Amino acid sequence: MLAIAAALIAVRSAAQQELMLYQTSDLWHAHAANPALFPKDKRLFVGGPTIGLDATHSGNIAYNDLLRREDGRAILDLGGAIGKLELENTLRLDQRNERLLLGARLGGWYLSAGWSQRTTATATYPRALAELLWYGNGPYVGQVLDIGPAISTVRWEELSAGLARNIGQNLRLGIRLKYLSGTAMLLSDAERYRIRVYTEPDVYQLSLQTDYAFYSSSLIGAVDTSGFGYDLSFNALRNRLGQNSGIGFDAGLQLQLGERLSLSVSALDLGGRIAWRKNTAYFHSQGTFNYNGVFLPGTDILNGTVDSLDFGAALDSLNDVLNFQKTDAELTTSLPARYYAAVQWQLLKNWRIGAVVHHQRDERRQNTAVGFSGHWTPIPWLTVGAMYSINDRSATNVGLSATVRIGPLQAFALSDNALNAVTPYRSAAVNFRLGAALVF
Amino acid sequence: MTHKNTLRPLLWVFILSGALAACQKFSLDELEVAERTGEYAFPLFSTSIGLKDLVLKVLNDSLDSDTIVINPDQTMTLFYSGDVAEKPASDIFRFFNFPEVPVPINDTFYVYPFNTPDSVYIRRVEVASGTLNLVVNNARNQPITGTFHILQMSKNGQPFSIPFSVPARQTFISPPIPLKDYTLASDSNRLEFRYEAYLPDGTRIKIDDILPGIAGIGILIQGFTAAYMEGYWGYSEYPLTLDTIDIDINQTNLKGNVKVKNPKVTMTITNSWGFPTRGVVKYLSFIGRDGKEYPLKSSVFFGDSIDFNYPSWAAGEIGKTKETHVVLDSTNSNIAEIFNAQPVRLIYEVAGISNARKDPSIVGFLTDKSTIALRMKVELLLEGSAQDFGAEQTLGVNFGEFADFDTSRIEAVEFKIVTENNTPIGAALQLYFLDDDGRVLDSLFTGPPPFVIKAPSVNGNGITTSTARAETFAPMDVARFSQVRQAKSMLLRAAFTTAQNGQVPVKLLATQGIALRMGLKVRTRLGGKP
Repeated sequence: MLAIAAALIAVRSAAQQELMLYQTSDLWHAHAANPALFPKDKRLFVGGPTIGLDATHSGNIAYNDLLRREDGRAILDLGGAIGKLELENTLRLDQRNERLLLGARLGGWYLSAGWSQRTTATATYPRALAELLWYGNGPYVGQVLDIGPAISTVRWEELSAGLARNIGQNLRLGIRLKYLSGTAMLLSDAERYRIRVYTEPDVYQLSLQTDYAFYSSSLIGAVDTSGFGYDLSFNALRNRLGQNSGIGFDAGLQLQLGERLSLSVSALDLGGRIAWRKNTAYFHSQGTFNYNGVFLPGTDILNGTVDSLDFGAALDSLNDVLNFQKTDAELTTSLPARYYAAVQWQLLKNWRIGAVVHHQRDERRQNTAVGFSGHWTPIPWLTVGAMYSINDRSATNVGLSATVRIGPLQAFALSDNALNAVTPYRSAAVNFRLGAALVF
Repeated sequence: MTHKNTLRPLLWVFILSGALAACQKFSLDELEVAERTGEYAFPLFSTSIGLKDLVLKVLNDSLDSDTIVINPDQTMTLFYSGDVAEKPASDIFRFFNFPEVPVPINDTFYVYPFNTPDSVYIRRVEVASGTLNLVVNNARNQPITGTFHILQMSKNGQPFSIPFSVPARQTFISPPIPLKDYTLASDSNRLEFRYEAYLPDGTRIKIDDILPGIAGIGILIQGFTAAYMEGYWGYSEYPLTLDTIDIDINQTNLKGNVKVKNPKVTMTITNSWGFPTRGVVKYLSFIGRDGKEYPLKSSVFFGDSIDFNYPSWAAGEIGKTKETHVVLDSTNSNIAEIFNAQPVRLIYEVAGISNARKDPSIVGFLTDKSTIALRMKVELLLEGSAQDFGAEQTLGVNFGEFADFDTSRIEAVEFKIVTENNTPIGAALQLYFLDDDGRVLDSLFTGPPPFVIKAPSVNGNGITTSTARAETFAPMDVARFSQVRQAKSMLLRAAFTTAQNGQVPVKLLATQGIALRMGLKVRTRLGGKP
């Protein structure tokens, strides 16, 4: 649960939003979702940093369920959240910090370049883990608690260069090559994620079985379990640009069918892989620890030769079980590919409606969302939009967007789930994006 | 705190899921964890106690494994033994005490009565060792020759004789003549010596006295022992043993009542004396815990005596050993009633009487290895019942880091004691926590000690048929716990009661035992401001 809180706190700075962003095609930042999308009739595009968030937690867990403010202090309180947890819970996080996004039109050609920082993370954890940590093992005597989480977290810097071209009057094709430089990675071994705790109802004999392993680059440098505790060394080694690298592709098209109808399709992060070779290690803990208390030979008791009941000494072996063996490793991680298909219909001069389908898939997660949008431009410098969307966790998402154009400036705020966007601390799914660009 | 530390390592796996974000924007140190109540459960200790060890301990530290015997059916028997009173025949019957100076032979035919105990008549002796020297003094002016005979002594059918030749005015001393393997045959407890002495002219003479009344011929017998004696042993009484046996089971300073089913006193006589011997019980009494004397009376005795088995000459049992077992139990004595008084020792005195029936026709014998040994035992099969039979033990204890742990956040603790018992003994336990000076800080249980160890049911033979499991909880508030964890020792006080509330006899088997385990639950406030 600390992880959840930490994640939610951390992603306040930026995020990627895809459904509403994709349908707000007159924004320059929509180009991030489809390399074939460029604002109409413009030649030069300068995108600034964006701030956004796209994070969800299964069930109905919200930030405020975990954290609260009290006398200026941040208080982590899992008491309310645990009751809302499901047996197995998933935290998803996708983060895209657009640092700079440039574009230019040269006749029928379009050029683009960008620099962004991206994170994709999934953590699946059992409720038992939160319960054990929050309430102790006392309430769970006699229950086997499997508490090993499955974690997949990758952060990378992305440098891109794109090229698009009009094919005829109605079709534009775009492609983008991306150079990926991994900065941090944490990936649990799908074959080794068992951490099992059992407290026997007899006299509370403890049993701990571990066969848990993870890969880490930069993020965790060492795990020290001496003294029955843990000591994680974070960020001991930082990955520099290019030390762990890979490439990926984006491709897209936009097809104008007549005056009013347009279709667009994009595929992002195709073939995206990062080879982790530097500062990458494999941590593995495997063992069984059974603690039955101090054993006293009966004859010692009878003879009164028990010098001392030393409760601490017998726990020494716990360190051996929990100890993580660290070995250097190399690993290639794949980025989750994402796909968009959308249609927009210019209903009236200042009304546009549309539909969009988004699909994301990788080894550990797969989700699909469908949205139906409408955009209204009541006055030349303002466009507002709304969207109803369905995704894997909710069928009642209402998105909103607002784009203000003042001269070359585009400023926007949008969300796939507007209610949550304005109350992010009370929502299990948070999605919004804020940003600005200059288009000429 | 240890239990907390046990769980702490698990925390990191949570952190993993958000560590990526944490490393950039979020510091765990800045986050305050909400106060809550958590509960940790962990084991403290376990032990198992074998019944044999328990019995040895409860009864007396000085008991050794020879005292308690595991029978083939795994029952256990306590044996309390007196010293073995072993008497070689030579301690009682002293024969052939030949003088250390030569035996004078006052005439050419001389009868020498050898020393035998009263009423014993020896008719045959086989010599095991010894030597004989013949001394002849010739006071005459001419040499003397002759032969000395012992008429009752022969070897391989040849009578014993020594020729001698003594020059004039000289003394003849023969070399030592080994007597081993000679046989003495006499029916009158006497030896007959005869000699013939001659002058050179053939005149038979009597050796002249050296001085008036002091014979000029004699024999010196040294180191004489008999390998075998045969004859008639008449009526004669002699002491055998006087001893005391401590009954440890009743010498503990513990309270309670123990009833032993079917106690026994066994007297074992190992006898290789070849003539009838009657044991006479001069004194046989238990001394109770109250100091009173409780005479042990038995129908086994004829009056106060019993005839011991013996190897019979007539039956050709020379060299054999016969045993006599005298068992005094509840069927033939008042021992059961005596044990109700929890006797602490047995005192006994036994004498022997040879040929108590004064039968002159009985031919008896002794060999140089003949002994009679008497061993008295008190034999207690551990089958009985007990009520509130108390025992106690002090154990050192050091709570280590528990002793220094800040208990201000602890709300309560609860000890859990689990026992698994297949002995027929249940026990109420109380554990007292003591400080350095032995003062009681607190006890584990408030109120009367609970039956922490339950006795399983027993079958008709008094043997348990199952294992009884008992769970006992001892809740303790933090104030008491704070005291307890400062303890330096623990006094374990137990009161044992056998199955069915000590109403039926039970058997204690060596294979039986008790497993005892203790765990602890701690309910504590976690998080919040320290």
